[in-house]
Order: sequence, then structure tokens, then C-alpha cells
Amino acid sequence: MNNLKRLLIQPLLPVRNSVTVLVLLVALIGFADATYLAFEHYQGVVPPCTITEGCEDVLTSSYAIVAGIPVSLLGAIYYFLILVGAFAYLESKNEKLFRYSLYLTFFGVLCSLWFVYLQVFVIHSYCTYCLLSALTTTILFIIAILIFKNKCQPRSY
Amino acid sequence: MNIKRITFWTIFCLIIVLIIWGLALSMKKSANLPSGLVLGEAGTVTTQDHVEGPADAPVTIIEYSDFQCPACQYYYTFVEKLTAEASTTVRVIYRHFPLPQHANAMPAAIASEAASAQGKFWEMYDLLFTNAAEWVDLSDASPIFLKYAETIDLDTARFTVDLASSTIRERVISDKNGGIKIGLNATPTFFINGKAIENPQNYEQFKALVDTAAITGTK
Repeated sequence: MNNLKRLLIQPLLPVRNSVTVLVLLVALIGFADATYLAFEHYQGVVPPCTITEGCEDVLTSSYAIVAGIPVSLLGAIYYFLILVGAFAYLESKNEKLFRYSLYLTFFGVLCSLWFVYLQVFVIHSYCTYCLLSALTTTILFIIAILIFKNKCQPRSY
Repeated sequence: MNIKRITFWTIFCLIIVLIIWGLALSMKKSANLPSGLVLGEAGTVTTQDHVEGPADAPVTIIEYSDFQCPACQYYYTFVEKLTAEASTTVRVIYRHFPLPQHANAMPAAIASEAASAQGKFWEMYDLLFTNAAEWVDLSDASPIFLKYAETIDLDTARFTVDLASSTIRERVISDKNGGIKIGLNATPTFFINGKAIENPQNYEQFKALVDTAAITGTK
């Protein structure tokens, strides 16, 4: 436990550029996905129910809004912060900002677990866009763990 | 901050703005696309149909809908307002299209048909739509439907028998099959004088479409 704590709070060892770019790309997908849903929410039109999708049930459920803010908008902000962190690292090796944005993925993966649970056991409908976001967050979380465990250093390091 | 850093961050901001702009644009386009579906023979109103409004109304709206669909519940208020405001020019036909992902859509459609067997389809339709939150998530919604049947003074013994009746079920399936035949894939889908419309963004748009159809009277 202490070991893990130490790993988390100490400055990151240099991270391979390819890994940072991967974080950027995955976060970009998540950002586009969440922004799309946020737009849909603010359009004010209830999306029609389609034969193959369950999105409208998920997006119009009471769980889609937290304290008056749509979850999709919170998601878009979350991905944006990760994008800024990863980009700052790529651009100027800003270790602190990148580390903080990687901490966010722990919170992100917990939220994703909760939303997948809601879709499976409470709403009984699946929204592809929400599942895609759960996937991107999980990937980001796994990369974050690998970075904290110092598995992503440049080969020459 | 040197030029290189400024360039980097400008590119970053540009990418973000491009994504947001592209998404906004694509949504605007998709929202404006009518489905292009036409009713064909299914546009003929039969004695089996549930009709509200005068038979000689210049505008016929045929709605394919699902009681459990949140969008159908949303558009229900539009339809209600329309039938009240344009009671002489519009007749509305309701057809069932219960979607597979809505576990209670089929039972609700059957409940409305069981009420219809006693001449009270529209009364049950109102109760199902206005109280949807009460029954959509239940594993068995029939006690709620029975409560509605009591509210609108139905013969509850007969209603209970009809809920299990295969004839009533067939009636719902026949509507649904009709929808599948014309290529329907979403609810609610509205046809104004036989042509599918894009779902209006607000009531005023809906009313305008109906008013135009009333003037042109295209049948």
C-alpha cells in the first residue's frame, strides 16, 4: 500500500512520446463522444426511440443529470482536462499537469463502472455512446496505471 | 512563451474547436433530414384504427408510437394540444409500434387495446402517457393497468381476461407488422397525409406543418 502511495505521489519518470500520443488520441475520442451527447442534451429535443438503440432510455433517465448538469457535459470536461494534461506533457514535459490528469482517470473509471452498472441492472438499456466512453476511460485508466508503475519509459531511459 | 509553444497550443485549441464545430454541424444536418418514408396503402384509415377527430378533416396524422418511449411521451403533449386547437382540421390515428428494448411497451399497448374493446382506447392512452413514470420500470405493470381500468370505469374482470387474450395481442402485432412493412425504425414517426415528417423541434413547428397541409390539402 505504501509502495503504491509512493508510486502515485512521486514525480513521473519520463514517459514515452508514443504513450502520451495514445493518451491524447483516446481522450480525443472520449471528448468527441461526450460532446456529441452534451449537444444532443442541449438541443432540447427528445431523440426518437430507434429499433436498435437504447440511448434515449439511458439519456432521458434520471441518472443522466447530476445536480442539474448533464453527465455528458461533465464527461466532456473530464476528457478535456486529460487532453490538456497530456498535451502539456507532450509540449513541455509538464510532469505535474500530466500526473494530475492521470489521477482523474481513477475517478473516471469509478464513474464509468457506476454508469455501466446502471445501464445493465437499473435502466436495462444500453447506449452505445455511453459504452464507448466507458471503454475509452478504461483504456486511459490502464495506461495511467502502467505509467505510474513506470512501465512506459523511453527505451533509452 | 516562445513561438513554438504558441504554435503548439494554437494547434491544440484549433483541433478542439474543429471537433466541436464538426459535431454541431453534423447534428444540425441529421436533425433536418426527414426519413423519406411514405405510407402507401398503409395510409388508408381502416375501421380497426383508433381515430380522434372528424372523418372529413383535411389533415390526417398517422402516428406510430410506443407508450414506453420517452420521445413518444414528449410528443404526446404536442398531439394533445394539436387535437384541441385544430379539432376541425385534424384527425389523429394512433398505431402501435412497441420497440423490443421496452419491456413494458407491449403490455401497455395490449392494455390500451383491452380498454379499446370496451370503447375507451383514448382514455387509457391518456393515462398510459401521462403516468408513464409510474409503470415503465416495473417488472409487472399489470396491477397499474388494472388500476387505470378502474379509474376509467372499465369492467375489470373483462379487462383482465382481455390482457391475456391472443386476439388483442394479435391486434397490436398487426399494427407493428404494418410499421415494419413500410420500413419504420423509430418512434414516434408521424405521417401527415401519408408522408413522414421529421420530428418537429417544438409545438409551433408541428402546428405550422399541419397548417400548411391543411391549406395545400394534399391527400
